Amino acid sequence: MSEESRLLFDVPGPRARRRTRIATGASLVVLAGLLTLMIRQFAIHGELSAAQWSPFTQWPILRFLLTGIEQTLLVTAVAAAIAFPLGAVLALARLSRSRWLRGPARVYGELFRAVPLLLLLYVFLFALPRAGVTFPVFWQLVLPVALSNSAVVAEIFRAGVLAQDRGQAEAAYSLGMTYGQAMRWVVVPQAVRKLLPALVSQLVRLLKDSTLGYVVSYLELLHKAQVLGEYYHNVLPAYLVAAACYVLINGALSRTAGWLEHRQGPQ
Amino acid sequence: MGARTTAPIRTLAGAVAALALVTALTSCDSSGSSNSLPAPAGSGSGSAESFDQVIAGAPVADASAIPAGSLMAKIRSRGSLNVGGTDAAALFSLKDPVSGKLTGFDAGLAQMLARYITGKPNENLVTVTADTREALLQNGTVDTVFATYTITPARAQKVAFAGPYYSSGDAILVAASNNGIKTVTDLAGRSVCTESSSTAANDIKQYAPSAKVILFQTNAECEQAVEQGRADAYVLDQALLLGDQYRDKGVKVVGTPFTTEPYGIGVPLGSPEMKAFVNDWLKLIESDGSWAKLWQATIGTALTGQPPTPPVIGSAQGS
Amino acid sequence: MPRELTATLGQLGHGLLLTLAMTALAFTGALLLGVLLALCRISPVPPLRAVGTAYVTLFRNVPLLVLLVLFVFGLPDVGLLFSLFLTVTATMALYWAAFVCEVLRAGIRTVPLGQAEAARALGMTAAQCIRCVILPQALRSMVQPLANVFIGLALSTSLAAAVGVAELTGQTEFATLKYDDPLTGFAATTVVYVLITLSIGLLAGRIERRVAIRR
Repeated sequence: MSEESRLLFDVPGPRARRRTRIATGASLVVLAGLLTLMIRQFAIHGELSAAQWSPFTQWPILRFLLTGIEQTLLVTAVAAAIAFPLGAVLALARLSRSRWLRGPARVYGELFRAVPLLLLLYVFLFALPRAGVTFPVFWQLVLPVALSNSAVVAEIFRAGVLAQDRGQAEAAYSLGMTYGQAMRWVVVPQAVRKLLPALVSQLVRLLKDSTLGYVVSYLELLHKAQVLGEYYHNVLPAYLVAAACYVLINGALSRTAGWLEHRQGPQ
Repeated sequence: MGARTTAPIRTLAGAVAALALVTALTSCDSSGSSNSLPAPAGSGSGSAESFDQVIAGAPVADASAIPAGSLMAKIRSRGSLNVGGTDAAALFSLKDPVSGKLTGFDAGLAQMLARYITGKPNENLVTVTADTREALLQNGTVDTVFATYTITPARAQKVAFAGPYYSSGDAILVAASNNGIKTVTDLAGRSVCTESSSTAANDIKQYAPSAKVILFQTNAECEQAVEQGRADAYVLDQALLLGDQYRDKGVKVVGTPFTTEPYGIGVPLGSPEMKAFVNDWLKLIESDGSWAKLWQATIGTALTGQPPTPPVIGSAQGS
Repeated sequence: MPRELTATLGQLGHGLLLTLAMTALAFTGALLLGVLLALCRISPVPPLRAVGTAYVTLFRNVPLLVLLVLFVFGLPDVGLLFSLFLTVTATMALYWAAFVCEVLRAGIRTVPLGQAEAARALGMTAAQCIRCVILPQALRSMVQPLANVFIGLALSTSLAAAVGVAELTGQTEFATLKYDDPLTGFAATTVVYVLITLSIGLLAGRIERRVAIRR
C-alpha cells in the first residue's frame, strides 16, 4: 500500500475489501472499453497498417532516430553543464550578504524565469544577430536553454538552503565558523543532498526543453521525427515513436530521482 | 554516508555509459547507409539516375576563371561549397533520411556550382530558415544560399543576389474535394495557412485581407492542415505546392500564381567577384542545356510539359 | 505609419488576450483533472491507481511540444478534428494536470501521519479525515508549488505559436517578420510576460500569507 493510502485509510475490513473488489472490476471494464475504442479509431483510419509502421523496423531509420537521441542527449548534457554550476553560483549570490551581489542575481532570476523559452530562442535567433552577435546553431539552442534553466536551478538551490533548520547554521556560528565556512561545511552539503531529486527533475525539464531545437533547425529527436513523418507520410506514428523515446529516457531519469528520494526517505 | 555520496556518481556514470552506447550504435554502422529503402513517391529517386547524370555532366571552370584571393579560390582550396539551404522541400532540396543524399532543383544547382568551382559536386549543407539566411551569409558560415530565396530590395541591402535563376509565385493549394476555391479572391473570409518563415503571410494579407492566416512551422504541417480540413487553403510558392500535390493525392493546386517570386542565389555582400562569377556560371548552364536538364530531372517530374525559359539574369529588382 | 502601428498593437493585444484565455482555461482544466488524478492515485482501487501512475509518468516525461504536434497534427489522422485553440488548450490542460496531481500528492505527504491517525482515533471516516484534517493543512504547502505550475503553464502557452496559434509570441514573431525590427518587439513582449509572472507570484504570495499559520 502506498504511503498516501497508509496516511488516509485504515486497514480495510471485509466490507471495504468487497467494495474495492467491485470497483476494481468496474474500472477494468471501463478501461478495456476505452482501449478498444481507441484501437478501433486507429484501425478505421488505417493508422495500424503495416505501411505506417514498417519504417521503424528498419535499421537505417532507427539509426537516424538514434542520432537524434544522441543530439538530444548532447544538448542536454552541455546545457546542464552550464546551467547547474551557474545556478549554484547565482543562488549563493542571492544568499550573500552583499547587496551588490544579491540585486543582480535577483534580477537575473526573475527575468529568466519570466521569459518563455521560445521567446528567448527567438532573441538568440533574430535579435542578437541584429546586434552583431551570432552563434552556431548548436549554441543558439544550448545557450537559451542553459540560461533559462540556470535561473530555476538557482531558485531550487536557494529554497533548499533556506529550508535548512536555522539551528544548523546557528550551531556552526556558535562553533566560531564564519558565514562562508558555515555555508561550505554545514548548510550547502545538507541542502544538496536534500535537493538531488529536485535537481534530477530539473534535468528532465532541461531535456524536454531541447525539443525547441526545431525552431533553430537543430536535428534533435523531435526534428528527426518530423523529417521522417514528412518523408514517409506517417506523421502520427513518427511522433508516437518520438514520444515513446522521450518517455523511456525521461522515465529512466525520473526513476533515478524517485530512487534518490526513497534512499533519503522521511526522517 | 559513503554509500550515499556514490549515488549521484553512479547515476552520472550510467548516463555517460548510455550516451556512449548511443554514440557507438550510431557511428559504427557504415554499411547501413548504403542499404536502400523503397523510397516514397516524390523524393525524386525515380529520376535519381538522371539527376546524378545531370550533375556529372555539368561544366567545370578553368583555373584561370578563379582569381587568387577571391571567395571562389577559398572554396576551391577547401574542396567543398558551404551552402545554406533546407533538407525538407520536395522538388527543390529534399534529403533522403537514410542515405543523406540531397536531391531537387536547388540542391542540384548547388552541387553543379560546387562542381564548377572545385571539380567535385561536394555540397556542405547548413540548414537555414528564412530568419537565419542573411545572418549566416553575413558572418561567413555559408558561401551561398540556395533556398527558394526570393530576391527583394530589402534583402538586397544585406546580401547580394546572383540570378534570378527561377521564377515562381504564390499559388493556392486546397483539398482535392474542395471546388469552392479557384482564385485568390475566393480566399476572402477563409482560414488560410502558410509557413511561418515565408513571405507568403504578408501576401495573403495584401491579396485577401479578410482571410484568417494560420502560421505553421513546416510545409508538411501546412499540407496536412489542408488535407485534414483544419485550414481551407494553403498559400506558398507554386513550385513547392506542386511538390505537395505530386506526393499526396489528397490535395491539389488551383489557379495560376498571383505574385511573382524571382529566386536568387544569395552570396555575401562583401564579395562582388562572387556575384559576377555565379551570374556568368548561370548564363553558361542556361545556354549549354544543363539548367533545362536539371529542371526535367527535378521539378519536371511533377509537371508536364517543356522546361520554362529561365528569367533574365539581373532582371529582378535587387539582383 | 501611426495607423499601421495601431493595427500592429491591436494584433499584439489580440495575441495577449489569446495567451490569457489559454492560460486561464488550461489552468482550470489542469486543476480539475489534476484533482481527479490525485484521487485516482490515492484510491484503494488498484486499476485506478495504475491509471493515475501511468498517466503521470507519460505526461510528465513527454515534452509539451511533442504532445502539441502529436495532438494538433496526429489526432485528425484518426478522425478527431477540433479547432486549433481547443486542441492546444486541451493539450496544455492534459500536460499540466500531471504536474498538478504531483503537487497535490506532495502536499498531502507533508501532513504528518499522526494527524490522520488522530482523526481516525476520533472516529472520522476517510472522507471526513481528508476534508477536515488533511486538506486544510496540505493546502498551505500547495500554494507556492501550484503557483509555479501556473507560471509554467502561462509561459508554456508560447509554444502554441509553434503549432499555429497566433498568441502573444506568435504575433510578436509575425510583427518582427513584417517590420524587420526584432529588438523592440521582443523587448515589449518580454515586459508583458514578466508582468504576467510577477502578478501570479504576487497573488500566490498574498494567498500564502493569508493561509499561513502564525508562529
